[in-house]
Amino acid sequence: MRIRMQSDEEADVRTDAGIKILAMFFVAIMVLAFTTNPIATGTKVGERAPTLEGKAYNGGGWTEFDMDSYFDSNWTKGDVNNGSWMLIDFMDTDCPFCVRSAEDVATYSDYFMKIRKDGNGNPEWQGPTVTFVASATQLDIPGHESSRDEIIAFRDKSGTEECDGSSCATRPGSAHNFIYIDDLDQDNMKRWKVAGTPSYYLIQPDGIVAWSSAESNGETFYEAIGRLTLAEA
Amino acid sequence: MNQNLFIVAYAVPLLFGLILMTRAGDSMAETLSKRNPLMVHARRRHMLGLNLVGLVGFVVSVHTLWISNKISEGGNVCSSATVFSCDDVLGNAAYNTDPVFGLSWGLIGMVAFGSLLFITQAVGKEPDALWAEKYLKYGMYMTGAGLGVIALLVSYEIEMGKICQFCTMAHISNVIALFGFWRATQLHDKGEWKDNATEKKAEGA
Repeated sequence: MRIRMQSDEEADVRTDAGIKILAMFFVAIMVLAFTTNPIATGTKVGERAPTLEGKAYNGGGWTEFDMDSYFDSNWTKGDVNNGSWMLIDFMDTDCPFCVRSAEDVATYSDYFMKIRKDGNGNPEWQGPTVTFVASATQLDIPGHESSRDEIIAFRDKSGTEECDGSSCATRPGSAHNFIYIDDLDQDNMKRWKVAGTPSYYLIQPDGIVAWSSAESNGETFYEAIGRLTLAEA
Repeated sequence: MNQNLFIVAYAVPLLFGLILMTRAGDSMAETLSKRNPLMVHARRRHMLGLNLVGLVGFVVSVHTLWISNKISEGGNVCSSATVFSCDDVLGNAAYNTDPVFGLSWGLIGMVAFGSLLFITQAVGKEPDALWAEKYLKYGMYMTGAGLGVIALLVSYEIEMGKICQFCTMAHISNVIALFGFWRATQLHDKGEWKDNATEKKAEGA
């Protein structure tokens, strides 16, 4: 036994070094665990929403979209006076479902963005403001070829462009009053792993995904806004 | 707290570690040996330098992981409008994890530098072991492979148009460690590895 121990002295050095390094690793992990509370980035409920990038059309012209400027990291649940929620609508101007839902989107965006007023000039919606943002993509389907002109035409109900085989100017609902992001290259759609259009995501004022149509079990985006923003208030 | 102070705090031991591993370290032998007589030996100075570099790489990796976690909470740690903005790099979900397993680069750095530290610790304690030279070569191969990872991460930074200072510090640690492992194998080959080699060299002079 004694001879065996003498011949294994070298292994002891490596064990000693290994224990030291593992202890150091463990301490580092403990420091990280006690001082941070990381939130995964993703599109599932409870995850931090990935960024939306691209040029955005607001009715006047195309400017760079800065998603972070909409969020407030200090927002806490129940804080109704600060921060606005965001509803992101992934759509394609030639997708029949998107064209059909444009009316609901127009109605509820005006309502939740507090554009629609009552007889006294006060917003009809008394909850926190919900900023609507559309990310307009071009699906890889024949007949879905799109352009910035078509995005403008769809949003404003103007021009001579065609959306799903008909004039964009005659699509259901009124003109939209929110930002449209050019995602014709599908960058945002891929980053968000959007399976199809239209897809809706409701984002809390601190940038966390609160609801998504993919996990909704039939609940509409406007029902979700009413349920979640008022519940948090 | 100004994050650049951390950069300086990491740069100083890194530079000292590099000096210990170069010919400039030989000129420090006399000064160092007054504090620790064993530092008169080239190999011991070299391994001290390599340990320092590995330790800095490990701590910087922990720091980058900490920053990544803080950004995910919604905080700003080192955000800047200039090209040096680690928030923009470490907070970019498209690039802040490896493309195969989705692990944070900071965690990968911790494992890599932890492994290098294991090698430097083990070899430093038992420099004449049969496995010592083999382990040094493993260290050289690991840090050599690290160059590929650095190239990938630098390409991300170029794409983003932003530089993460902490990541750069970890990259520099890897490059210096590669040099350190390479030079350690050179010391082996030239017969300058053993403690008495320094004495013989001095006697010869």
